[in-house]
Amino acid sequence: MAQRALDRLLNAIEGDARLDRPGHRLEQGLAFAENLLGVTGGRARGFLHGVWLGHPLHPVLTDLPIGSWTTALVLDLTGQKRAARAAVGVGLAGALAAAVTGLHDWQHTHDNARRVGMVHGTLNTLAVALYGWSWWQRGRGHHLRGRLAALLGYPVIMAGGFLGGTLVHRHRIGVDQTGGQLDPRHFTPVLAERDLTGDRLHRVRAGDVDVVLVRADGRIHALENACPHLGGPLSQGWLRDGSITCPWHGSQFELRSGESLNGPATAPVPCFQTRVRDGWIEVRRAPKPTSSPPGSALVHQQEVRP
Amino acid sequence: MRRRPQALTEVREAPPRQERKRATRVLVEHHEVLRGLIRRLLETPRSEPGRRRALADELFDELRMHELIEEEIFYPAMRDVTPAVGAAWSEHRQLSDQLAALVRADPRTGRFDRELRVMHDALESHAHLDEERQMFPEIERFADEEQLIELGDRLQARLGRLRSSRRLRTVHRLQRALLRRTAR
Repeated sequence: MAQRALDRLLNAIEGDARLDRPGHRLEQGLAFAENLLGVTGGRARGFLHGVWLGHPLHPVLTDLPIGSWTTALVLDLTGQKRAARAAVGVGLAGALAAAVTGLHDWQHTHDNARRVGMVHGTLNTLAVALYGWSWWQRGRGHHLRGRLAALLGYPVIMAGGFLGGTLVHRHRIGVDQTGGQLDPRHFTPVLAERDLTGDRLHRVRAGDVDVVLVRADGRIHALENACPHLGGPLSQGWLRDGSITCPWHGSQFELRSGESLNGPATAPVPCFQTRVRDGWIEVRRAPKPTSSPPGSALVHQQEVRP
Repeated sequence: MRRRPQALTEVREAPPRQERKRATRVLVEHHEVLRGLIRRLLETPRSEPGRRRALADELFDELRMHELIEEEIFYPAMRDVTPAVGAAWSEHRQLSDQLAALVRADPRTGRFDRELRVMHDALESHAHLDEERQMFPEIERFADEEQLIELGDRLQARLGRLRSSRRLRTVHRLQRALLRRTAR
């Protein structure tokens, strides 16, 4: 029953187009601020998305307010006034950091996830307001008011947290969206070498897999034609300084390794090994580093003979 | 008795000032305007920084207006016709970011050339590869013809109003000034 009610609630949020206009207004404001501060093309961009961490930074930071405010709830019950105020304060600091990274991630989402994100952010802002007021009142000696505000704020942050979980588990925001496929395991011809002109992106098929080919720095690079962020078509993107940019949200990936350089994608794009045989470009999946001993059949298979 | 249609009212109706076009055609024609500006920018050498800057400003105005009419009128109306609207909307953000990078680059430097090349590629990706080759054909197949024509009228009217809006021009000028002032 509860499950069905929650599902109905989520469907209602996802289908509410009224959230779009304020959402896009907010994003335009954010975009302008980020461009003014030089975040868009700078290092802060990847840092805030969590590229350095290998997965989004935002969910890590949300543990701070939820944990601290749970602690404050317990300390309120046991009557430790000063400690409770400190816990509320730590939670506030964590919530601000989570808000910055959360907004930074949210601006690169679409449709339904975007709307859920709007409600998620609004609830959390309300919780921050309640806890902020609680912290301030406690500081002035009004502990009862402070406790009451915290008591009101707790279910709000829980609801906000629930929607945050929805964004990850239902909408797969922040999840590595690459399929984890193993094919093609053997070199597969995909394009005649003379058809691969320099500095242009070519979309080819290797069996069931969509691949983007590009010639740069005298080498042929092959990457999966789907951004690990939300699956944007990399073959419709563009090249810049040895990297390929996803046209949807601007994630840049190193051609050589597929590593993300700036986010919002935090995972690498799967790469393929390439070679040229009889005038044909052949690709096969670059295997994951294996723990098999040298000389084993798997390692032998993975060696490339150009 | 059946009433006769009142001929007088028909005569009194003002003929539409603009040629009626499908929304997709209005947008493709505006894409051409944007492409033309980029082409002229690419043809202008580094030795003419003033002209480069003026063209970049014009591109800034036109691209912003293009995004505005698509976001206010076209995309919301097409949301039920194609699922591609969300991604196209995100691509606008890429264009805005690149536009900011272009405006912040000194037109006498190689950086401006690099940003301009990326601007060209980003615009082609959105306008040609996504909209003209995939999204618009899908819309023309599935959307109601009447609706497309009516949307086309609204797009043209809105674009006309935006072009003559002094407020918008001032806002854009202010934005460019801020972006250039904070450039490093």
